[in-house]
This record gives sequence, C-alpha cells and structure tokens, in this order.
Amino acid sequence: MESTLELHLDDTMKNPAIIGVLCTDQQGHILGCRGSLSDEHGGVVSVLARQVASLTKDPTDSPTVCLESDSGNILVRAHGTITVAVHKMSS
Amino acid sequence: MTTSALTQGLERIPDQLGYLVISEDGVLASAGELENDEHTAGVIMQMVRTACHFRLQGAAEPPFKRMSVMLEDYVYTVTVSGQKVFVVKRQNNKREPVVV
Repeated sequence: MESTLELHLDDTMKNPAIIGVLCTDQQGHILGCRGSLSDEHGGVVSVLARQVASLTKDPTDSPTVCLESDSGNILVRAHGTITVAVHKMSS
Repeated sequence: MTTSALTQGLERIPDQLGYLVISEDGVLASAGELENDEHTAGVIMQMVRTACHFRLQGAAEPPFKRMSVMLEDYVYTVTVSGQKVFVVKRQNNKREPVVV
C-alpha cells in the first residue's frame, strides 16, 4: 500500500508544469522523489534550506529559495523538519 | 570595471531597498538596508556555493542564472557575473491568487 507521502508526490507530478519533486529530512535523507529530482539532490536541497533560515529572525517566516534557469525553476522550502523541492517549467 | 560602474545599474533597480556586491575576497560595495551587512553577505555566499553544486542530469552549465530568496516582506535577488555575486534586496509585492 502506498504511503500518504507517495500519493502526494504522485498528485504533485500530475501538474503538467511540474517535472520533478523531492522531500528530504534535515539530514538530507530522501523521503520521496519523482521526475527530474532524485537521491543525488537531497543533500544540496536540505543544506540550502538550512542556510536560508539564518536570513530571518522571525521563526514563523519560512523563506522560499528559487533557482531560476532556462530549464525551469527549482523551488525549495522547509516545512518544519521536512524540506520540499519542486522543479517547475518556466511560465 | 570600477565599483561605481558596477553599482550604477543596481541603484536604478525599481523597488530596491539595498544591495551588495561580493567577491571571494569580501564585500566590494553595499548600500541601503544591506549597507555593511556582513551577515547577509556571508549567508548569501554560502548559498551560492551550495547551489552551484546542484546539477540536473546531463547538465554541464551551472544550475541557475538567478537565485531568488523570498521572505515575508522582501526578496533577495542574486546573480553571479564576472566572478562577483550581486545581491539586491527588493520589496516583496505579494500577489494573492485569483479565484476564477
């Protein structure tokens, strides 16, 4: 039986603009991934989320990091102890 | 290129609240809300180095042309050119989603 997370990842990939999605814990271990984002990206994603947290003193403010390129945008955001990355085509 | 030539363009960016120009040796220029902000400069440089390790399958070139860091009230827009990192702090004009 697929877990809730796996179902959410599959749902996310149904959006035609999304070509990859990934979730990691704070140590960069992959909790799930689809498409263009895979195991090798977990470390960088979790480190980026940890680094960006020190840009704000407000603990309720969760910054979003967006890496923009011709091949699309990679959006990274932490939600509690989980970091989510989404690879989306440029609109 | 002189520092003032680099920063002239940054001064004219609409809604800009401040900027940093950073090299491997340190901060070359800073202004506005980012003036003398060594902490932000250090964090941004760490993030640029981390982001440069990001490689999508088969991609040879760096993974980003621009990095945006979006916070509640403002946005840091970061780009790399000529061995220098340019950071601009801008107002975050959030747009609410339109329900149709």
